[in-house]
Amino acid sequence: MDFSLSEEQSELQQLARQILDDHAGNDQLREIEKRDECFDEKLWRDLGEAGLLGIGIGEARGGMDLGFESLCLLAEAVGATVAPVPAVPVLVSAALPIERFGTDEQKQRLLPGVAAGATLVSAALIEAGSEDPSAPQTSAEREGEAWLLTGEKSCVPFAKSAERVLLAARVEGGVALFLLDPSAEGVRLLRQEVTASEPQFAMLLSGAKVDARDLLAGPDAAPAVIDWIVERSAAASCAMALGVAERSTWMTAEYASEREQFGVKIATFQAAAHRAANCYIDVQCLRLLTQQAVSLLHGERDASDAVTIAKIWAGDVLHRVSHAAQHLHGGIGVDRDYPLFRYCLWAKQLELSLGSSAERLAQLGERIAAEYRA
Amino acid sequence: MKIEFTPEQLALQQELRAYFEDLMTPELQAELAKGAGEGGGPEFRKALRRLGSDGWISLGWPEELGGRGATPMEQYIFTEEVMRTGFPYPFLTTDAIGPVLAEHADEEIKETVVKRILRGELVIAIGYSEPSAGTDLASLTTRADKDGDEWVINGQKTFTSLADFSDYIWLAVRTDPKSKKHRGLSLLLVPTDAKGFAVTPIWTLGVRTNATFYDNVRVPENHLIGGEGNGWGLITGQLNRERLSLVNHGSANMLYQQVARWAGETKCADGRRVIDKPWVQSNLARAKSGLEALKLLCWKQAWQMTEGTLQMADASVAKVYGTEFFIELYRMLLEILGQAGTLKRDSPGEILKGKLEFRYRVGSILTFGGGTNEVQRDIIAAAGLRMPRSR
Repeated sequence: MDFSLSEEQSELQQLARQILDDHAGNDQLREIEKRDECFDEKLWRDLGEAGLLGIGIGEARGGMDLGFESLCLLAEAVGATVAPVPAVPVLVSAALPIERFGTDEQKQRLLPGVAAGATLVSAALIEAGSEDPSAPQTSAEREGEAWLLTGEKSCVPFAKSAERVLLAARVEGGVALFLLDPSAEGVRLLRQEVTASEPQFAMLLSGAKVDARDLLAGPDAAPAVIDWIVERSAAASCAMALGVAERSTWMTAEYASEREQFGVKIATFQAAAHRAANCYIDVQCLRLLTQQAVSLLHGERDASDAVTIAKIWAGDVLHRVSHAAQHLHGGIGVDRDYPLFRYCLWAKQLELSLGSSAERLAQLGERIAAEYRA
Repeated sequence: MKIEFTPEQLALQQELRAYFEDLMTPELQAELAKGAGEGGGPEFRKALRRLGSDGWISLGWPEELGGRGATPMEQYIFTEEVMRTGFPYPFLTTDAIGPVLAEHADEEIKETVVKRILRGELVIAIGYSEPSAGTDLASLTTRADKDGDEWVINGQKTFTSLADFSDYIWLAVRTDPKSKKHRGLSLLLVPTDAKGFAVTPIWTLGVRTNATFYDNVRVPENHLIGGEGNGWGLITGQLNRERLSLVNHGSANMLYQQVARWAGETKCADGRRVIDKPWVQSNLARAKSGLEALKLLCWKQAWQMTEGTLQMADASVAKVYGTEFFIELYRMLLEILGQAGTLKRDSPGEILKGKLEFRYRVGSILTFGGGTNEVQRDIIAAAGLRMPRSR
């Protein structure tokens, strides 16, 4: 039993926090938010220079190969600063499966650029009609050695600036995974405005061409690879949720300790203090459940229940903590001159992405029923 | 990070599980069922002596006090296995008071009391709460006055659980009548056969507890433990340990598994299994996801105690979350059992021996016992979030 970080992980966490804190001040974020795409490219490159974008990428491709636990420490730090960088979609949902399941050619072509912060890759996990990543409506047909894809993906982060977008499509014999070039002919991108202001796109595919070299997994391997991706994306999103919820809680505690009404600090009202204490309890629980899921995945162990439970908690905790934080701040919490509002927006974004609490709860219930049905 | 038991810890768990299965004889189970599971009967005493002679009582005691020096992690595993069996293990005697006596008492008490605790021959009840001193324990008024080489005790305690069959009361008294609050408190070891001591039952929603009365009860001066006026430190140290056995994953998880198994086996009128109903699955999923958090809080706490890094707020988080979740858990599981869930043990049609019926009925004690959850939340806000105190 060991809940502690290794020395290497602690140092990496310090480094990530330091770089992110340096870039994610209120004024800096406000400048970035004026842009068309809410993305801090300078910060992303700095993270790359520090090696942090290569945590999950092999050394031969310019990465550090430090494992999933370390990668989730970065996701947590991004959540804590709500920095406008796509850590989870690029590094976890897309780069990680390329690193693990890609051909040598794919890895060499795409990953050094990701590790350096020069190239983005992304993943299209859901469709308008189907949020189950393993049951896409999008289909792929052979054209010679290549494939032609038709369908509609939704909520694809950074699709416009990504070199490749990982996506699933139905093929003869099941589902396959492809690395689509979003600038290819037959791809139309429609900008979607989402709660957290992350640039996301609907991807309309009408015979969009994917070269044979960009097939990531055929129908035999793809279902397991999709589960692999979804579990890691969900776990990393829990880590990010942890950062969001924990920082919201601390901001709230600090504010309530300074703010005076009726001649006293509002923290001295038990009703207010207890609400903050509930946030603290929630955050502790989410931290432990996330750590368990992440550490199991780190060791390539079975983590399906652990991830599902962590995601249920992430959704619930984000909802409760975010609202308590807003409520205890009063009007200042909704004012865009004060940084809390971004945490509220990310809380909602993460809560509803990659499987809501209710949906995950139903999945868990079905698994329990299968386990105990005599 | 490695969030799982080591092979050695798993082996200990298996060893204990087999041991307690053997210990819980049908005779003992029948005796416990008659007395609402609180212990005190001859079979209980027999089993406790066996635990003593097999060396389990000294498991968590420091080696220099004659114990086996197990880590808090190992003690936690022991506690879980005990709780799973339902044996009313006297944790407060063996793990809270015993080591304090071994450290602070004189040779005579070590011979007559400590050795007998380790042999499983003694049960000690806690005498803290008074009619006007509950959560605000430091306002207690039971007093002890020095008369020659004896202490003379006068006052009344309430909710002195186990006092009806205990050998001693571990009694919090005011030894300095001029003192206020937590200053001037001391702890006395009072034999329950002392003249002037009386017990009357208090019947609660679940078990029997007691009011205890002290009318010029005299004890020798060496029965004051840990020094005159030093009681508060000993009380708060013990309450922290009490919380460990209060919030525990093993027995709650066993109830979940039993209900899930029942729902998987039991057929409804239409031929479907109970577990096929979506709302049953939903309750089981909520139960499991809550239990998972409980498990990790318990493991983390035991790990932190082993590392010596447990913070005040951490212990309070486990207490608040665990106790409030238990009550929700019992409800979610009982909803699955339906109205049959209200059948008490030994009633025709009982399910799972009425265990859940009992736990849900008495569960409300959890949130105020062992330090009420409002005070725990005050501690979390102040110690965990560094917010200014309410008072």
